[in-house]
Amino acid sequence: MTTSKSGANERPEGVPVVDFDLPSFKGVAESNAAWAKLRATSPVVWSDDNGGAWIVSSYDAVSEAFRNWQVLRSGRAVRTIPGPGGSPDLLPINAVPVNTTAMMIPEELDPPLWHPYRRIFNELLSPKKVEGTLYPRVKYWVTKFIDDVIESGKCDIVETLASGVPGAVVLEWLGFPEHEWHRFSAAFHNSSAYVPGAPNAQHYLDELEWAFDRIKEEVADLRERPRDNLTSYLANVTVNGERVPYEFATGMVNLAMSGGVDTTTSVTSSAFVHLHYHPEDRRRLLDEPELIDSAIEEFLRLYPPARTHGRTVVEDTELAGFKLRKNDRVILSEVSACHDEVAFPDANKFVIDRFPNRHLAFGLGPHRCAGSHIGRAMFKEMLTQVLERMPDYRLIEEELEEYPNCTALGGWSKVPITFTPGKRRL
Amino acid sequence: MKVLVRANRCQGHARCLAEGPEVYVLDDLGYNSTNIDNVPPHLREQARRGAMACPERAIAIIEESGSGAKASR
Repeated sequence: MTTSKSGANERPEGVPVVDFDLPSFKGVAESNAAWAKLRATSPVVWSDDNGGAWIVSSYDAVSEAFRNWQVLRSGRAVRTIPGPGGSPDLLPINAVPVNTTAMMIPEELDPPLWHPYRRIFNELLSPKKVEGTLYPRVKYWVTKFIDDVIESGKCDIVETLASGVPGAVVLEWLGFPEHEWHRFSAAFHNSSAYVPGAPNAQHYLDELEWAFDRIKEEVADLRERPRDNLTSYLANVTVNGERVPYEFATGMVNLAMSGGVDTTTSVTSSAFVHLHYHPEDRRRLLDEPELIDSAIEEFLRLYPPARTHGRTVVEDTELAGFKLRKNDRVILSEVSACHDEVAFPDANKFVIDRFPNRHLAFGLGPHRCAGSHIGRAMFKEMLTQVLERMPDYRLIEEELEEYPNCTALGGWSKVPITFTPGKRRL
Repeated sequence: MKVLVRANRCQGHARCLAEGPEVYVLDDLGYNSTNIDNVPPHLREQARRGAMACPERAIAIIEESGSGAKASR
């Protein structure tokens, strides 16, 4: 536990206090166990770690917090606050604020400023748009990437599919040249999976800065010379009667890319690992393919990609009976809410036809993941084609590699598999 | 049976559409404001499941029978 430093949030009196240093948890199993222990203690606790914050772990309290967006804010506008999240250099929507100046728009905005920007994303990513416009590209890339390996009988399914497909779909849509796709995907993946602590951490942070700088350069260029792609659209879109400010345009591209490339990867890789260790679930999906939609929701509940988010309290309020003070930091745990026995009987089990399954994998309230529909579509197509084309795949267990840091995202960096070779489709 | 959607609570998860594709209609931004006074019998199960699936609890189903109305959310 860290002692309170100057500028940190002061410990409140008369509340449960725990040691809970999120970045110190190594891997999803250790992190999940810590969350389970915390839920058994109290739905809301205080921790002095990482500058001091409330930690919210129960389904009901996390839901209440997400819905109380007027008071538990996402915006960097609250930058006069002394503690973590209050600096213009820190990303306040992360549970443990991350050092970057790159804005994420509209996730870092609160209503009313949030409204027109969220509308842009909703128009682009509605269920209807995803089905009509984006799904054909999803299907193409999944088919092609499986074609690339299907005759060989082996691949790393993260590189081939779980990371490859979201990267191709999102970066093609954004209009970045194909030779840069892998570098962008790797930059976002490595910075969340390996920082802090990995020997290469500084290199990964430098790559992330490269990605943000490259976005800035592209947006600036497209404001001079518009083209027919999504980045150009976001660079020049009209908001409140005027062309979007440059910083907000780059913020939207930052979010489309970072939200798009590594989150779907996380849950998809977890599902492939799960179906190796639970052959009975794989058998059921192969025998009853109509269960795929409920299976997808259950994978999302059991392995939510975004595990935590941060909020800042802008006026004194109550949460689950606890008195939160203006300027306090709050850590909300989607993963803990998703694993809460009170809301989900047999919460630790994969129940393939669980219903209802009101999980919080995409959050709740106005900041509900704007890409949830395209994320589901990519996940479903990857799962469907793997079950059709590599139904007998086996993991090479000793070569599995998990994200070492699962503060914000959990999942697998490397999932090498072997399978009976098959035929190409394209 | 009536379906009432609290539009200010809907956040566009679209779980109602997944469970009740013949009952629920979303606007171009992906939000639901489907209010139905009388759900035909063959669609009532879809309506119920769509309401139950909503993580925002934005959909109320009002069951009307001879003995009175029962609301669930």
